[in-house]
Amino acid sequence: MMRRIGLHRTWLRPAAIAALTLAGLAAARAGGQMTFGDDTNTSANDGPPFFGFVRDGDGAAVGDARVTATVKTGGALVTATNSIGVYKIAGFAKSIDPGDIVISCAKDGYKQTNAVRRPNPPGDMTDPIEVDCYLQKE
Amino acid sequence: MTRTHRSVAAIALLLVCIQAQSCRAQALTGSVSSAAAGAMAGVLVSAQKAGSPVTVTVVSDEHGRFRFPDGRLSPGQYALRIRATGYDLAGPRTVELGAAPTDVAITLGKTADLAAQLTNTEWLMSMPGTAEQKRPLMECMSCHTLERIARSTYTAEQFVPVLERMARYANNTIQARVQMRVAPTQVNDGLVRKLAAYLATINLSSAPVWSYQLKTLPRPKGRATRVVITEYDLLRRTIAPHDVRTDGAGNVWYSDFVENFLGELDPKTGAQREYPIPLSKPAFPTGALDLEPDANGDLWLAMMFQTGLARFDMKTKTFRLYPIDGVANDDAMQQSMVMPRADNVDGKVWTNDVARHAVMRLDLATGRYRRIDPFAFLAAGHLHAPYGMAADAGNDLYVMDFGDENIVRVDAKTGAATIFPTPTKNSRPRRTMLDDRGRLWFAEFAANKLAMFDTKAETFKEWDAPTPYTYPYDVFCDKNGELWSAGMASDRVLRFDPQSGRSVEYLLPRPANIRRVFIDNSTDPVTFWAGNNHGAAIVRLEPLD
Repeated sequence: MMRRIGLHRTWLRPAAIAALTLAGLAAARAGGQMTFGDDTNTSANDGPPFFGFVRDGDGAAVGDARVTATVKTGGALVTATNSIGVYKIAGFAKSIDPGDIVISCAKDGYKQTNAVRRPNPPGDMTDPIEVDCYLQKE
Repeated sequence: MTRTHRSVAAIALLLVCIQAQSCRAQALTGSVSSAAAGAMAGVLVSAQKAGSPVTVTVVSDEHGRFRFPDGRLSPGQYALRIRATGYDLAGPRTVELGAAPTDVAITLGKTADLAAQLTNTEWLMSMPGTAEQKRPLMECMSCHTLERIARSTYTAEQFVPVLERMARYANNTIQARVQMRVAPTQVNDGLVRKLAAYLATINLSSAPVWSYQLKTLPRPKGRATRVVITEYDLLRRTIAPHDVRTDGAGNVWYSDFVENFLGELDPKTGAQREYPIPLSKPAFPTGALDLEPDANGDLWLAMMFQTGLARFDMKTKTFRLYPIDGVANDDAMQQSMVMPRADNVDGKVWTNDVARHAVMRLDLATGRYRRIDPFAFLAAGHLHAPYGMAADAGNDLYVMDFGDENIVRVDAKTGAATIFPTPTKNSRPRRTMLDDRGRLWFAEFAANKLAMFDTKAETFKEWDAPTPYTYPYDVFCDKNGELWSAGMASDRVLRFDPQSGRSVEYLLPRPANIRRVFIDNSTDPVTFWAGNNHGAAIVRLEPLD
């Protein structure tokens, strides 16, 4: 099985640690209870994250492209690629079938031609799912 | 004389003056100097007429000269106050204004108690510790200053029960009135002890003086000195103005975070009115937070722990309450936000269910609320908190995820949510406004940034606040495209031009805990309004350019 070391689950960790810290004195947080941080990051309860590249017809990376993960059962998350054309999306709820999430990409002056999903091994519900998205100049 | 009697007397006098037009004093001008520094620029000079709830403040220029605008001060005796970090007023403390121009030479002396003059921002600049250690302190400012922590003598062990006690306080707590939550709170003992251990390293538990140097921000200069600030003291210390806005007639309306009324202030006369809101849950904390107009111009309030929403009819001056019925209205139920601006589109008003981290939609025809969890499809492990709200022309909702880092759009027709994470992680977007070009301006509280989300292009822009640890609460984009922001930390109002990147920070005359900011675009230059949430005052700031 191919290990995508750089983008393995560990990239979720810094966010999780920060969330724990800031949840500390949560009194002012929109009236959330002052829990001193009972926020948990039970990653075992999350679905797999998504990541990938957005490229143009020549295979060049497209930075600042909009990437949308649409959940077939309702809802969507919109992010953007970085300067080397990479996007990352944290996992969805475990109740969401990863097969029900469609990745699409867009940028002014371009249209999407394709989105290629690299299949994870059968039964692998934790490794990040790579979906590369392709744009063509209009 | 009591505060109330003084205010009533002052209001009466002001009314007489306005009618007669004859009691305007000649201009008050003067100079500021100290033995240590000579002529002093950037010193705030405040004048408050005896018995009046109104204080007017100007700032000394590069020559140490100041001038109150003509016609602002009527004849009489005025108390003088200054703000210049590191200095106290030596004299004079009062000035008598008559028919002739008055020029006063103000002298300052070095202060013996610099710590008493530090803003929360300056405490955070001064305190040792990592960003992670300091991060929880941004919550403390909701109820009290950081000076209070710094001056305490609790050891780490003694801090634990103090923190556990404060964990039971409702958000709508100020020093003048503590309010307890009714629903039980759970605390994480490990995090309490970690915070307690850190606080014991920055306070006076182990020595009579601080182990670190007290750092201060520079005094205002340049454009930041060209301003007139007017403070209107409210009638009681237990009034905590949270959201402030003006109406078409120039009257000021504010929500009170602690007492249960809607406030009105006539800035021309200083007259104040209070419209009591009927109690829905008498044993629960009182006070409202969000104050927003609907499409008809009536004002809506989010009723916090009193729960539900209140609509104030601006013609009849009466309230209609929209309670939350049944089992949903449990001890933890709380509404902090309301968004009625496009209620004419579909007869629906947005609000939030704070305890369940969800948004709710009130159907005006039936009076029933529908709960929508916009985060249901996201991974567990992040605390989401729907907070500041805006609605577009179709009554689609834009809501800030104050617990995390997302802007969320909820479709008015389907209820489907689209999540837009901000470029900066853990940014905690707080309050927002939508301009007529579809741009959502918002404050990234934890990231110390102002930000814009273009709802049409679905792209973000972010700008660092020029001063660290200012923790902007809100941002308002004025008619000229300039941004105005403030918060609970710096006692400063930030004016920022996103085109040029230039900024001005106006220092306020007193410690100021500011939440919602509002710009009156009908004046030229524009006028800034906000409430001093811990200072029981309404603040008007008029830039001179």
